[in-house]
Amino acid sequence: MTTDELEQLLAQQPVALLHRLARGRVHRHFRAGKRRLIELLLQHSSQNRAGLESDLETLIGERHSPLGSGSPHIHRAPAITPKKASPRGAEPESAETAVSLSAWLEGLGVPSPQPFVPDPWQNEALSALNEADVVISVPTGSGKTYVAVEAARRAMEDNRTVIYTSPLKALSNTKYTEFSRIFGPDTVGILTGDRQENGQAPLLIMTTEILRNLLYDAASGEIDVRLDTLGLVILDESQYLADPERGVVWEETIIFCPSQARLLLLSASIGNPQDIADWLTSIRSTVCRLVRHSKRTVPLRAGYLHPNGKLTPLFKTLGIPYGHPSHLHPEAKRLFLEYEEETLPTGRPRR
Amino acid sequence: MPPSIHPVDLITALRQKHLTPAIVFLTSRRACDDAMETFDHADLLLPPARQEAIDVALERITVQHPSIAEHPLIPIVRRIGIAAHHAGHLPSWKIAIEELMRQGHLDAVFATTTLAAGVDFPARTVVITQSSIRKSRDFTDLTIGEVQQISGRAGRRGKDHVGFAIVTPSPYIDLAVLTKGLTGQPEAINSQFTISYPMVLNLLKAHPHEQIQGILAKSFAQFQLNQRAELLEQKLDAVHVQMEPFGPRVCTDWITQWHTFDHARRHRHTRHQTHRSESPEISARLPFLTPGRVVGLGKGRGIVLRQYRSKGQKNSMLTLLRPDSAVTECPVTSVKEVYDRTYDCTETPTYPWCSTETFDRLSHQLAELPSHLPVLPILVPLGFEPLPDAIIQSLGDFPCPTCPSRPACQKDFTTASRLRQEQQRHTKSIQALRTSLWHRFQERVEVLQKFGYLTPATQLTIDGEWARLIRIDHSLLITELIRAEAFSGADPSLLAGVLASLAHDDDRPGAFPRISPGLSSLLGQVRKLAESLSPYEDPPLLRADVAALVERWVSDPALTWIGLCRLTTMAEGDIYRLLARTLEFLSQVQALKSTHPGLAESASQAITLIRRGVLEELP
Ligand SMILES: Nc1ncnc2c1ncn2[C@@H]1O[C@H](COP(=O)(O)OP(=O)(O)OP(=O)(O)O)[C@@H](O)[C@H]1O
Ligand SMILES: [Mg+2]
Repeated sequence: MTTDELEQLLAQQPVALLHRLARGRVHRHFRAGKRRLIELLLQHSSQNRAGLESDLETLIGERHSPLGSGSPHIHRAPAITPKKASPRGAEPESAETAVSLSAWLEGLGVPSPQPFVPDPWQNEALSALNEADVVISVPTGSGKTYVAVEAARRAMEDNRTVIYTSPLKALSNTKYTEFSRIFGPDTVGILTGDRQENGQAPLLIMTTEILRNLLYDAASGEIDVRLDTLGLVILDESQYLADPERGVVWEETIIFCPSQARLLLLSASIGNPQDIADWLTSIRSTVCRLVRHSKRTVPLRAGYLHPNGKLTPLFKTLGIPYGHPSHLHPEAKRLFLEYEEETLPTGRPRR
Repeated sequence: MPPSIHPVDLITALRQKHLTPAIVFLTSRRACDDAMETFDHADLLLPPARQEAIDVALERITVQHPSIAEHPLIPIVRRIGIAAHHAGHLPSWKIAIEELMRQGHLDAVFATTTLAAGVDFPARTVVITQSSIRKSRDFTDLTIGEVQQISGRAGRRGKDHVGFAIVTPSPYIDLAVLTKGLTGQPEAINSQFTISYPMVLNLLKAHPHEQIQGILAKSFAQFQLNQRAELLEQKLDAVHVQMEPFGPRVCTDWITQWHTFDHARRHRHTRHQTHRSESPEISARLPFLTPGRVVGLGKGRGIVLRQYRSKGQKNSMLTLLRPDSAVTECPVTSVKEVYDRTYDCTETPTYPWCSTETFDRLSHQLAELPSHLPVLPILVPLGFEPLPDAIIQSLGDFPCPTCPSRPACQKDFTTASRLRQEQQRHTKSIQALRTSLWHRFQERVEVLQKFGYLTPATQLTIDGEWARLIRIDHSLLITELIRAEAFSGADPSLLAGVLASLAHDDDRPGAFPRISPGLSSLLGQVRKLAESLSPYEDPPLLRADVAALVERWVSDPALTWIGLCRLTTMAEGDIYRLLARTLEFLSQVQALKSTHPGLAESASQAITLIRRGVLEELP
């Protein structure tokens, strides 16, 4: 195969295949667009041309094997198709079903003020807390703070103390301000590694590491009296459990959390919240209830903005087509292909 | 066509379509600052009323956070109603921007993805310009969860009917990652449980050794390991059922009998060959050069992906993963060292001989390897002689010529043997899943015993009693330094400098003040100790330059914040974080007052000296 032939063959392949081919050959291949990828692959092939060709054939073979032939995207490539084929003609899209830009932009604006009514899931979480630990997994911006605040209020009305932890000092500071405004400055304290403000307050804010250290000190006999009256521990942003460096701290905190205190885990949407709840149920004296939903409270629409300033919907549908990543708007698809074609390998303008 | 949209055009387009306020996520702090600069000459002024509103709001924030009063970015922010928000800024400035955004004074904020987590910072629109982010030293694709955290900032409850996530391409974008992220289910999360030295000491302080296994069993790590073990147990049960027809026959263990025979018969021919071409040293290594093994080569290191024989090559060959995800082939003879380290490797029959997940993970692990790795001791059998052919010949073609069960055994052997291997493999894996945490704990216990923090009976020694209070990264190095009295008589600025170099884990280069001779020699001592501890704890970066910066801040109380910032090319926010992390480390040392009063006093002085200016504004 000549270099030109190889280049043409590569150009006929879908980007996904090129990325697979580039794995182990091209550093950071996932950052490259199609053109750039081909260029880099060709560069690489000067070292091991035969290997590249044979792997390419294997991959093409896999795509065309009977297993894959059900996929609509395969164009069983004739030996060599003219390379300058217009990207427009790639796939006839049912353009008439795609949402229009004006419809997509419609309905944007500010809703009229509504009295605050808790969402059903917020009430559900609060009543579940009466007899169980609770894991909440809902999308970003749903209103987890409301549950934390109400739960803290109820615990304090019961003469119990509350600890609220967040992963970041910045977030702790924000919550300190926010909670002080809600409950009054005397009710809220904050603990950091080297400083305490209002450390005897019934509602204490700290990072999860500080709480973990408190629990270790308590376990080894340097009893902090306050742990006896501890009624509620709130762990915000609990998806940090999966953080490679710090995740272990969340596990330690949960394992050593005093059994008389309720645990409330607030987490963004994750794939396996039921596992977390089951885990808590398996190690703690109370059961753990899961409150989850994945529907955003404010609906989301996705758009595509071309570098020349042209805006179009990203998907065919008005909302996000959950489960269907390929339902792109034909206009967005066309523009993006054009973009990939026109940006030079180095990512700088052609001219 | 430009590679990405000009920031001024972007904002104009968003304003025109009423898509503001917006958060524009950019790849780097640099990109955010550059974007701000493009507005210098743009004709995009806010109406005077809005400019005044920003003044009023900022004044109110300044009361709490005086450090923002003279902030150089204030004029541009009030003029155009647009700001940047990233980790290079002081926390107080970030708080100010968040507050302005919350009150609706800003039209757009250029931010890095660090903003995506936790901060209540919503907007009508988010603009996404990238599909990968820098994690430690490499770029990785955004996960579905991350895309949803980012896009989740769009649409404010009570202020928007709908939110918008707008993708605009840049040379770094892979559209498929984003469409998958927007439409997909977030990934399941997995435990990242690790057993650290302070964890072991604290557990053993509070609980007798025999209870620890039960405590480790409560981890999410074990919960997930058990899930995997249960799946394997189901498979094992299925294998048991399949094995039923192959129970005891004339000889109880007929499968082993056949296996032994089969093995001998099969190796009769090849035995000679393999030993002819390879020296004893090389062939002793071969069993260890399995996929996932870390090896040292003439230059650099690699991870074995497969071992194979190739026609025309005298020696066995290896496919190796090298730095920067390169894949190379080489004969086993070019391996200089076989290290005592292997990683899991899911093998596949085609290039690159392992699954893509494995490949990406191994590339990462290879890049993250510590500079020192223990070498695997390999025994070379001297004068190894293969079994004389005569013995093998005497086995004949079949071991049990007169047995009545022979035809049945001959027929069933292949299936039975495969099932039994599967059974043994599952049993072993289940065992490993159930006990791996405990083994890791025991390994740590042994190290702590070796260093004298634990008695042979796993009680805390006098040193163990205080060492358990050091619960930060590099704890072993820090406690060993304290035991070696490295800090005795050191003044607060030296102590703070050393702890700063331990606390700082960023490898971004920069220009810094000169280091004092005292600190320099102390750091030399730390480096030496860190190297000798490297089999037990990954050594820190130990940047002398950041140590010098912190030393200056502590030793010169007249130095102002601006003065400190001028000494270095580091961003304000980074200096702040460096000092804040150093404070955390110092406060752990301060906790040793009862056993090391002098050292604790020095730490507490350093804390007081660090906490001035901006560092006093926030708890
Ligand atoms: N029931 C409700 N009705 C109307 N608005 C609500 C309701 N609950 C919460 N909100 C508002 O929703 C916004 C987002 O809430 P909040 O910050 O608690 O979200 P979150 O779930 O913690 O998000 P994040 O993932 O960012 O931490 C807040 O402004 C809050 O006042
Ligand atoms: Mg929140």
